Amino acid sequence: MMKLEDYKVAFAAVGLVGVLILASPTLGLVLHLPGGERFSELWVLGPGHMAEDYPFNVRENESYLVYVGVGNHMGSSTYYVVYVKFRNQTEPLPDALNGTPSVLDPLLEYRVFLRDNEVWEREVLFSFEGISFEGNFCRVSSLVVDGCVLNVDKSAVWDEENSGFYFQLFFELWIYNGTVSDFQYHNRFVWIWLNMTVSI
Amino acid sequence: MSGLLRRRPEGFAWLLLVLMVAGLLSFGPLCVRGTGDASASVGEADVAVRQAFNATLDAERAGANVSGLILRLNEAGGILVEAEMALGNGNSSEAASKAGQCIGIAESVKGDADVLKTSALDEAQTVFWTSLTFPVVGIAVFVAVLVLVWRRFKRGYVRKMLGLKPEVAHDEA
Repeated sequence: MMKLEDYKVAFAAVGLVGVLILASPTLGLVLHLPGGERFSELWVLGPGHMAEDYPFNVRENESYLVYVGVGNHMGSSTYYVVYVKFRNQTEPLPDALNGTPSVLDPLLEYRVFLRDNEVWEREVLFSFEGISFEGNFCRVSSLVVDGCVLNVDKSAVWDEENSGFYFQLFFELWIYNGTVSDFQYHNRFVWIWLNMTVSI
Repeated sequence: MSGLLRRRPEGFAWLLLVLMVAGLLSFGPLCVRGTGDASASVGEADVAVRQAFNATLDAERAGANVSGLILRLNEAGGILVEAEMALGNGNSSEAASKAGQCIGIAESVKGDADVLKTSALDEAQTVFWTSLTFPVVGIAVFVAVLVLVWRRFKRGYVRKMLGLKPEVAHDEA
């Protein structure tokens, strides 16, 4: 037969468990467990809405389609800006190691507000105007994005190693920091390589 | 006028030149002011959108559902981009008009966010006191019942122990 002291311990244990169960709604209000990792996503997809078949060999006055998307997992609503930039091979890309953006001016921007765990995605339809070839140089006058004619006026030198005139269309993700009331580069960028070719 | 033209043609040419220069000088600042005003409006729209977002974030932290506000902020953001593009293309009147439209939406979002925040804080307070009252009462009742059960059990246990008959054990060894 169990001793009275053993029963006392059993009653105390039952009492403690019961109190914890009854207090759990209040404890839930007071105690905040740390959430998961906070991060943002940025992606670019090809015309089939997959990470394949990206536009590569491009010609003047032909339209190309990619999808650009942003995912918010920052734990609260977030204000993003996606900058669209265009460069030739010699111009700087963002520095992923130092977390600095490209110094190139954005051609276009998308302002996006997302709640936590929400995603935003849009079609980006682009084409080129005024592509000219002269010797080892290729010059692009304008990039047309979603019907907006953007003056780029960039030249690329013939890349012998990869046989092409290469340019890069890239998207940078910036995030609004309410503490400093300004946008900060969020150290995320995605790109597609484009090889300018002669129209047939 | 025709007399002046007949008598002193050079004088008339000078007068015309002076009038043209004066006209240009008065029109120039107007153009600059137009672009400057549009630029200022777009800047104001940008600030208004940021303030609206800050207010929305405060409302969300207070526990409000801000889905509707986020939708309207996206609308304002799109218009702001259009205003910036119009400004970049030198279309000041469109830039100013879009900026005004954007400010209107942003200010209404900010106002609604403030209202939502206040009501969410009130609701959160009610929820907090409800969540505090019910467990406190529940715990008190539970502990009281447990003590009563324990006392009853203890009494029964002691009575049972006292009622036991002593047994004589033989030491076999």
